[in-house]
Amino acid sequence: MGDVLAWLLFFFILIALLVMIVFQLMCLADLEFDYINPYDSASRINKVVLPEFITQGILCLLFLVTGHWVMSLLCVPYLYYNVNLYLRRQHFVDVTEIFNLLNWEKKQRLFKLGYIILLLFMCLFWLIYNALEDDEEHHF
Amino acid sequence: MGTENLNRPNYPLRPAATPFAAQQGTTPFGSSGPVVGSEASAFRPAPPASSQFQRPPLSSGPFVGSEPTSFRPPPSIRPNDLVRPPPPSLSSSYGPPASGFPSSPAPPPPSIGQVPPPRTSLTGQPVAPPLTRPPPGQVPLTQPQPPSVPMGSPPQSLKMGQPNPNIPLRPDQQFPPARPNAQPSAPLPGPPYPTARGTYQPAFPGYPNAQPSSVAQAPPMQPASFPLQQGGFAPAAPPAPFLGRQRGPVSGILPSGLYPGNQVQQHGITPPIAPSQALAEDFSSLSLGSVPGSFETGLDVAALPRPLDGDVDPKPLAEMYPMNCSSRVLRLTTSGIPNSQSLASRWHLPVGAVVCPLAEFPFGEEVPVINFATTGIIRCRRCRTYVNPYITFTDSGRKWKCNICSLLNDVPGDYFAHVDASGRRADLDQRPELTKGSVEFIAPAEYMVRPPMPPLYFFLIDVSISAVRSGMLEIVAQTIKSCLDSLPGAPRTQIGFITYDSTIHFYNMKSSLMQPQMMVVSDLDDIFVPLPDDLLVNLSESRGVVDAFLDSLPSMFQDNMNVESAFGPALKAAFMVMSQLGGKLLIFQNSLPSLGVGRLRLRGDDIRAYGTDKEHTLRVPEDPFYKQMAADFTKYQIAVNVYAFSDKYTDIASLGTLAKYTGGQVYYYPSFQSSVHSDKLRHELSRDLTRETAWEAVMRIRCGKGVRFTSYHGNFMLRSTDLLALPAVDCDKAYAAQLSLEETLLTTQTVYFQVALLYTSSSGERRIRVHTAAAPVVADLGEMYRLADTGAIISLFSRLAIEKTLSSKLEDSRNAVQLRIVKALREYRNLYAVQHRLSGRLIYPESLKFLPLYGLALCKSAALRGGYSDVQLDDRCAAGYTMMALPVKSLLKFLYPNLVRVDEFLVQGEEFDITRRIPLTAESLDTRGLYILDDGFRFVIWFGRSILPDIARNLLGEDFTGDFSKVKLSLRDNEMSRKLMTILDQFRATDPAYYQLCHLVRQGEQPREGFFLLTHLVEDQIGGANGYADWMLLLFRQVQQNA
Repeated sequence: MGDVLAWLLFFFILIALLVMIVFQLMCLADLEFDYINPYDSASRINKVVLPEFITQGILCLLFLVTGHWVMSLLCVPYLYYNVNLYLRRQHFVDVTEIFNLLNWEKKQRLFKLGYIILLLFMCLFWLIYNALEDDEEHHF
Repeated sequence: MGTENLNRPNYPLRPAATPFAAQQGTTPFGSSGPVVGSEASAFRPAPPASSQFQRPPLSSGPFVGSEPTSFRPPPSIRPNDLVRPPPPSLSSSYGPPASGFPSSPAPPPPSIGQVPPPRTSLTGQPVAPPLTRPPPGQVPLTQPQPPSVPMGSPPQSLKMGQPNPNIPLRPDQQFPPARPNAQPSAPLPGPPYPTARGTYQPAFPGYPNAQPSSVAQAPPMQPASFPLQQGGFAPAAPPAPFLGRQRGPVSGILPSGLYPGNQVQQHGITPPIAPSQALAEDFSSLSLGSVPGSFETGLDVAALPRPLDGDVDPKPLAEMYPMNCSSRVLRLTTSGIPNSQSLASRWHLPVGAVVCPLAEFPFGEEVPVINFATTGIIRCRRCRTYVNPYITFTDSGRKWKCNICSLLNDVPGDYFAHVDASGRRADLDQRPELTKGSVEFIAPAEYMVRPPMPPLYFFLIDVSISAVRSGMLEIVAQTIKSCLDSLPGAPRTQIGFITYDSTIHFYNMKSSLMQPQMMVVSDLDDIFVPLPDDLLVNLSESRGVVDAFLDSLPSMFQDNMNVESAFGPALKAAFMVMSQLGGKLLIFQNSLPSLGVGRLRLRGDDIRAYGTDKEHTLRVPEDPFYKQMAADFTKYQIAVNVYAFSDKYTDIASLGTLAKYTGGQVYYYPSFQSSVHSDKLRHELSRDLTRETAWEAVMRIRCGKGVRFTSYHGNFMLRSTDLLALPAVDCDKAYAAQLSLEETLLTTQTVYFQVALLYTSSSGERRIRVHTAAAPVVADLGEMYRLADTGAIISLFSRLAIEKTLSSKLEDSRNAVQLRIVKALREYRNLYAVQHRLSGRLIYPESLKFLPLYGLALCKSAALRGGYSDVQLDDRCAAGYTMMALPVKSLLKFLYPNLVRVDEFLVQGEEFDITRRIPLTAESLDTRGLYILDDGFRFVIWFGRSILPDIARNLLGEDFTGDFSKVKLSLRDNEMSRKLMTILDQFRATDPAYYQLCHLVRQGEQPREGFFLLTHLVEDQIGGANGYADWMLLLFRQVQQNA
């Protein structure tokens, strides 16, 4: 039963990550279509950048602590990338250059989105798998 | 060697045309007699005389001074080409003939003579006289000017425009020797050529005619050949002369002896195939190959193209579309917009535009101001294009069709006028917006988000010890005071001051006070503004207080011993004061910001960082504070101009960011000393304060369907994908943009561009300045090349290269420039090389003949040159920021400065000709001469070692033997000094944006000479960078690879 709860937790963390990334992408798209100005767009995006990084770090750590080291390993590249960005102080969107970097910022976030979705599916799989197993145990 | 217009040569080459034959003959002569003979016979197919005629004109065209640059012969001329049937093989002849024209009066190049004489017949011109054949070996030289006689004659002779000609002009100079030198320098020729030649020769056999010229190798033959040629050529005569001229200058310079006939060759152009259309193409070429067995590399340094006439405005477009805005405002890198993405990708240079929205117009051509008070500004409903000369009226004047999106719009009732049968409005004469490319509309209230702001100047002045000691504070105070009367926008103008050292000083200038009140804030962590109002006051109301303040400012801080600089907090304070209104913030910074937020460390110029991936970090702002502040400034319509004065590292990279994103500008006076730099600071500060400025502006460039501006380069911040936010703009700022095609195929014939700048004028009116231009869509790469504009291309290149230095190594950035030039030339070569058998020559379009040189100069500019030791980091960054904003003309002058010799004028008193520029190489410098180098930012006055002591004494007084770094040039009471000052003033008048301070340099006085002068001699090898000749050979070799 514990496993199922753990996977459920992972699932919600992933959903949270997903939401944060989609939000950033929306801000960028709005910017591109001139619905908001670069100042607002950048400040909105920058508000969720660190939460996103931290959430992702926690997720990775939780995977490790709960013994799901394969999943943890899958999270590492993402984490490494984030840490790298942070160390180079490039994690924030630069208001002054935002239009020149727009494509890159979007691409980067789309990749992240794909990555998270992949993890999400794996997480779902394990969640269901564990739930079924629990179920079977009950039967016996 | 010499640049030649291949075109002409081509023509001649063409066997079909008799004239050509003659020409060929000429070439051959130059190059090598022997071949010629054979060829000559081949050529014989004498074309009709008519063809010949045509040619002459052509040749003349190019030569002509008027359009030296544009080789394109006038269309009329072209016909010739057409006429000519497929010229079988043109040999390169033209090139060789170069010797010919004595463009320069003095040395009638022998070469010329050679060719033309025989041909005389056709043109009917007096060509004949010069028949003398040179000795076999040196054929070319022999005949002097016969060419002049030939047809093109009158115009041609006059036009010396081409680079070559220039050279010849000054025979006295060292060029002759120079060449030899140069050639050795270029190692390339040796290896590459051999191969090239190999190709050649084989080819030639095919075309007997052509070969001769190129081959040139067999001297003995010549005599024989000549005769042949003549026979064949006779008709051709006229053209030949031209050829001669082209080369002429060169030849004059070169001692005939030096050149083995061979070198000269131009292999030219064998256009056997060429359909008339191809023939029409003109291109220029530079023969780089040397003849096997000759000692010299084939490159004739004196014949390399040089922009000695300065920047020449692109003409073709203006002629095609007379209603376009001036080239001062908008310059396209190529006026032929590619019609497909595949064509665009073959054009390896940028497609884009350089825009200078507020360019100054000469007296009498001012931009008309139009007030649409009753109808509202007429714009397209869909794409928001402003009414312009290219819209068309339909439905008997009730509707108009937008030229950009083709939408039919209704004409407002008040704007209606009858349209005649040709579509011309009856009131066209009273509607400048329908006839002029540049107009200004007065904008109604819809165009305002707030009432128009008053002009506002805010000064943030460093008063630490170094600022006081250097005299900066005093000069600044005096200059500001002297400009108060001429600040634009009186009586609405607002003004305010903050000074700072380790604390921040605010000044209450309320008009009721007698003296300003100073308030000191020393809490740097939590900045607050001590007074809500009165820090920023109306100048005319508080004039007395402001005057009193400026008078007392220097003495107030006279004894200040504070060395700290709380720049960041002061900046925030200024922001708080200004954010209500916006305006212009002038920062005078004398040391590295050391306290509070935004303090910078002495990251210095770390030699270890160069050549590594970290290198670029030195050139980007260290602290995100600066970018953030810049963004905030722009948001609140504040433009920042940074004046930096320190003798030590001040991190211009960080400070300049403020200017870069706010549409400002960086002025950098390293080691400022009021005794030396005061004039410069005074002039530039007062220009900054008094020039016409547009406030709270935004700019957008619209263009037709299918194309889109995708990137923008310059000092501004993007407000949305295509909207440039410019808190303040003036006539000295230009912006570049790159285009891309959105559709794979453009179906329209013409693309329209419309630059619209919405701004508040100093008088408080909201206005829109609109510039409209049209450019043809072309389907042919050759046409794109023909319509290319080197100035705009270089301007875009420099901006791209400087941006690249912010994210990668200097080296990479230089390589990128080189690579693009090589790709462009290679693509061009692929267009023409095969059919014209040009294997030994570098060919390039006439329109881009200066591209390689400017590319080289760009790589040698302070922003990109060398590495750690070549340029101080601050100098480099300051140059980068400056170049990002320069208009095209100033940039070109900065890259290839004017060098003129003045001693003769001083002594003899003839009329000084400001345009007599000479090539930028040490070989141009005579030890007895006095030279002025003007790059638009400073003058370097170079005293030759053996200059007449009289001159030096007259100009410098008794100091003339002293240390030039301490001597100041000033007006003295004698004729020479007055004349020199007049010349300097003349130069300054041509470029008022900056003040050119005189730096005196004596020959051989290091390191000053190296620093001031030698680094500007872009044609020489400097610190490991290529000289011009080597550079051309390098390009040539790279172009040949994979060609």
